[in-house]
Amino acid sequence: MTLTASPATSWDPVPGGVPARAPAVVAAYSDAGFTGLDRLPQRTLATDELRVLAASVAARPELWECHVAYDEETRHYVSLHRDAHVDVWLLCWTPGNDTGWHDHDISAGAVAVVRGTLIEHNLAVGAASLATDVAAGQVFGFGPDHIHRLTGKDPCSVSIHAYSPPLWRMGQYAVGSTGVLRRLSVSYADELRPLDDAL
Amino acid sequence: MVRDWVLHTVGEAPYAVEPRDHDPVRRTSIDLGVGTILLAPSAPLGIECLPPAEALVLLDAWHEGIRELGAPFSGWAAISSIDPDLDGLADLLDDPALVGLQVPATLVGDPAALELATPVLRRCEQLDRPVLVHPGPARGASGSPLWWPAVVDYVAQLQAAWWAWFAVGRTLLPRLRICFAAGAGLAPVHHERLQQRGGGPFVVDPGVYVDTSSYGRQGVDALVRALGIDGVVLGSDRPYAALTDPGQGAAAWRQISRNNPVRLLQGEVT
Repeated sequence: MTLTASPATSWDPVPGGVPARAPAVVAAYSDAGFTGLDRLPQRTLATDELRVLAASVAARPELWECHVAYDEETRHYVSLHRDAHVDVWLLCWTPGNDTGWHDHDISAGAVAVVRGTLIEHNLAVGAASLATDVAAGQVFGFGPDHIHRLTGKDPCSVSIHAYSPPLWRMGQYAVGSTGVLRRLSVSYADELRPLDDAL
Repeated sequence: MVRDWVLHTVGEAPYAVEPRDHDPVRRTSIDLGVGTILLAPSAPLGIECLPPAEALVLLDAWHEGIRELGAPFSGWAAISSIDPDLDGLADLLDDPALVGLQVPATLVGDPAALELATPVLRRCEQLDRPVLVHPGPARGASGSPLWWPAVVDYVAQLQAAWWAWFAVGRTLLPRLRICFAAGAGLAPVHHERLQQRGGGPFVVDPGVYVDTSSYGRQGVDALVRALGIDGVVLGSDRPYAALTDPGQGAAAWRQISRNNPVRLLQGEVT
């Protein structure tokens, strides 16, 4: 029997595997018919739908503005919504904030930057990792195959993140001084941060 | 009772039956790639518990219907719970169109009840045919919405039947292959409580299966974490609900939709 691939595993590959280098514009991507986080489809959302969702939330500051705060030591983030199919987060960044390398297990995701600039890093084997600026007004999405690291660039940067299925377990990576890569399975309740090389 | 295509079941709200859901030609075409469709009688109707003479007429019609449908259909036999005819059961299961016996979960819902039902189950074991434990009649709950029996009664019944089997089933019936519908109401996920309350260890029994009816990625994932993949078989609640994607990937799909059902129905695959 052939089942349609679940939305979380069907996404449009982007050139070079770096979705942040082919971002969409938040203003053009947000859904004018978006009526709030309590009216989402009761199913897994595809990457493109997550981009629309992240852009739509980004375009409505009344949904998240009251939660904005910054912390150099402990990255500030707030869950805006979680149901059985999708979760939406507000993240606030200082230049010192760093998620470390991680994956999202089976979740696809989307990131819309609403203030400042983030840097998305993509891990490469046998080559230097890639770094891409994602500025306010841009949104990019990725499938569950995506491994990345996000860092703040501008002070007081803000981003909206959407994932489907909602985050549950995640892989946190450490690249040792010898270049050896290790993965630690963490709960979504863990704050993602660079792993100590002594892991 | 069906009157004007409305099904009236004790303990449940009237259900408007969609006639085309019972069109065999259409039924074979909606789940593409499914090679064999095993039909299960609706145990919530309570036919098995009717006075035996009344039950027999209806159950005979069920079995005859399965035989008439032919491939790709086959189905589960059902017999009276009040006066089980073991030789009649053997005759029924002599027909390859009837793959095994379905029993209502309410019949095997605690260890004592399971012991009482053991002669029937033992005959299946002797015949090397599997047993399907299916939800039985709902109790009914005042003011409850349409989905209540499926989410509350059936789940609770299946959990009770699963743990009754865990407590005494394998000792009574060492070789029986048994499958609990609807993921046994996710009973296996409760193994941590079993362990904490002195009922452990929880050992996975390779002759015990659960089907996936109406569960999706989260439910099936939880079952696979507790049982492993080998005990999970594909099922659906058609015509009430469509087949769901277990969402575990292609290799797991092959196990759930092909290898595991073959093992449940035929025994160890060589």
